[in-house]
Amino acid sequence: MITVALPKGALLTESIQLFKANGLDFSAFLDKSNRQLQISDPTHRAKALLVRAQDVPVYVEYGQAQLGIVGYDVLREKRPNVAHLADLAFGGCRMSVAVKGSSPYRSALDLPPHSRVASKFVNCAREYFQSIDLPVEIVPLYGSVELGPITGMSEAIVDLVSTGRTLKENNLIELEVLYHSTARLIAHPLSYRLNPDGLNTLIEKLRQQTMVL
Amino acid sequence: MIYQPPSGARDLLPLDVAQKRWIEDRLEQVFHRWGYHRIITSTVEHLDTLMAGGAIDQSAVIELQDTQGQRLGLRPELTASIARAAVTRLAAVTYPQRLYYNANVFQRTAQGSHGGQQEYYQAGVELLGASGVIANAEILQLLSDCLTSLGLGSWRLILGDAGLTHSLLSVFPDALRDKVRRAIAHLDRVALETLSMSEELKQRALFLMDLRGRPSDVLQQVSSLDLSSSQRDSVNDLKTLMELLQETASASTHSAGAIPALILDLSLIRTFDYYTGLVFELVSDTDQGSRVLGQGGRYDNLLGLYHPQGQTYPGIGFILNIEELHQALLPGGQLPDQTPASDWLVAPMTDQAAPAAFAYAQKIRESANLVRVEISLDDAHNQEQIRDIARLRKINRIAWIHADGLPEIEALN
Repeated sequence: MITVALPKGALLTESIQLFKANGLDFSAFLDKSNRQLQISDPTHRAKALLVRAQDVPVYVEYGQAQLGIVGYDVLREKRPNVAHLADLAFGGCRMSVAVKGSSPYRSALDLPPHSRVASKFVNCAREYFQSIDLPVEIVPLYGSVELGPITGMSEAIVDLVSTGRTLKENNLIELEVLYHSTARLIAHPLSYRLNPDGLNTLIEKLRQQTMVL
Repeated sequence: MIYQPPSGARDLLPLDVAQKRWIEDRLEQVFHRWGYHRIITSTVEHLDTLMAGGAIDQSAVIELQDTQGQRLGLRPELTASIARAAVTRLAAVTYPQRLYYNANVFQRTAQGSHGGQQEYYQAGVELLGASGVIANAEILQLLSDCLTSLGLGSWRLILGDAGLTHSLLSVFPDALRDKVRRAIAHLDRVALETLSMSEELKQRALFLMDLRGRPSDVLQQVSSLDLSSSQRDSVNDLKTLMELLQETASASTHSAGAIPALILDLSLIRTFDYYTGLVFELVSDTDQGSRVLGQGGRYDNLLGLYHPQGQTYPGIGFILNIEELHQALLPGGQLPDQTPASDWLVAPMTDQAAPAAFAYAQKIRESANLVRVEISLDDAHNQEQIRDIARLRKINRIAWIHADGLPEIEALN
């Protein structure tokens, strides 16, 4: 049976819609009272795992799920060994550098060398500052990164921005966009090659669906 | 102070060893039946030797300090070592050479993973000095024979042709080729779709990435391209190989040993390797998911890199990952689930009987078949205690040795 890893959070509703449009109904995950982490489609043709977005590529890389949906930001940060099959075009957001609005910095290069940058995306942040040849100290955080500049722990943050509202409400301004991100369909490479249980037919249907949108 | 093995190292206890040997013994028997001879090469190699083929990433090699300023590394695989040894030390032998190995290898775990294994065991073969379809078929049949001897339930072979795919990529301009190759190797369809190239080239790239499935279908698809004569030869060789395997299967008297339905996958390439022709991956295909148990391929230019005059010989081989095979075989129940119990416990009934006990034990050991005999080391000569120990260790027979040297045999149940 095909197993699909679905990400908790912002991408979940649209991911479930995508599968539903192709005959696989995992909408039980959207029910607030649901506590199950693994459910079966009512037709028993596929299973779905509900996991944190960062863990989606892990389950897919190890082959416990043959398919997964995850943001490009996670793929770029973790570089898992998975097949990237389609840009699903939803869940658009950008990875940005932001600072306090009251700070004098108006571009990333204005930041003083060896300043601190707080981020959940340490690899992306490191790569970016290396690419502009600015030595910084990356401070890894697991959430509410905005507090870094607010409390003065860091001069800047590198974080995902979708509408920009969180930044605005915390008096932060966006300086640079590192890259744009959307949801991606990924697969376990070996399963993609072996094509068990009509996996590739399902992938093709999902891809067609995406192109129509 | 608690002494622990370093992260990524592991100890094999007697039961682990018994199971590992079970696998290795069967593989060795098959290798012997096909006329292969064992080669043992050095665990330590010059870093240059390991890297010469271009397939080894330096960051994966565990390097060693040495006193003369030479860079050494623990071997991450054996093909480089065997290629080196074969061309320089076995120059006088006749080809083809059939070699096998059963050895430990060392691979530094990728950054970011925690405590992953660093020492592995591999068994494999190298068939040197033979090119052509029959040599390729020999290696695949040998692989299949190995798996049959292990009783491995469900497995698949994914077959590709690194030379053919490499050649099909030559239509892409230099600047683009590596990116396309990398995207195909990593099955990164999104990257192919977003690379800037003409629509025609993009369609070609996507076509190459999707060249996978039933061999006859894939061969037909690739034949629809405008092939050069050497590409056409490669396609014909693949076709001949498939027919040869099929006819061999139907000619063999028993169905066991037949290779399950092959998958031909011309996107099966790596970004760096020394393979020049046929490549393959052996995959276990169970409800728990699919894992790579081994892989192999043809390397017709590798030996020349090690030859003093650059003279090269074709080669093809495969490796089997013993740990992965072990994991795949565990649910099947054919591996031994305990270490073998001893057959006899020889117990002197007094201290004076000890010499007679040793002599009697030795007499039983000299039987034609393997008989395992333990001496009871109980100083108190307490018979009840000795019986308990024997039962605990699943020993069925005790030979009590009296002070006068005479044995008395007791069967336990």
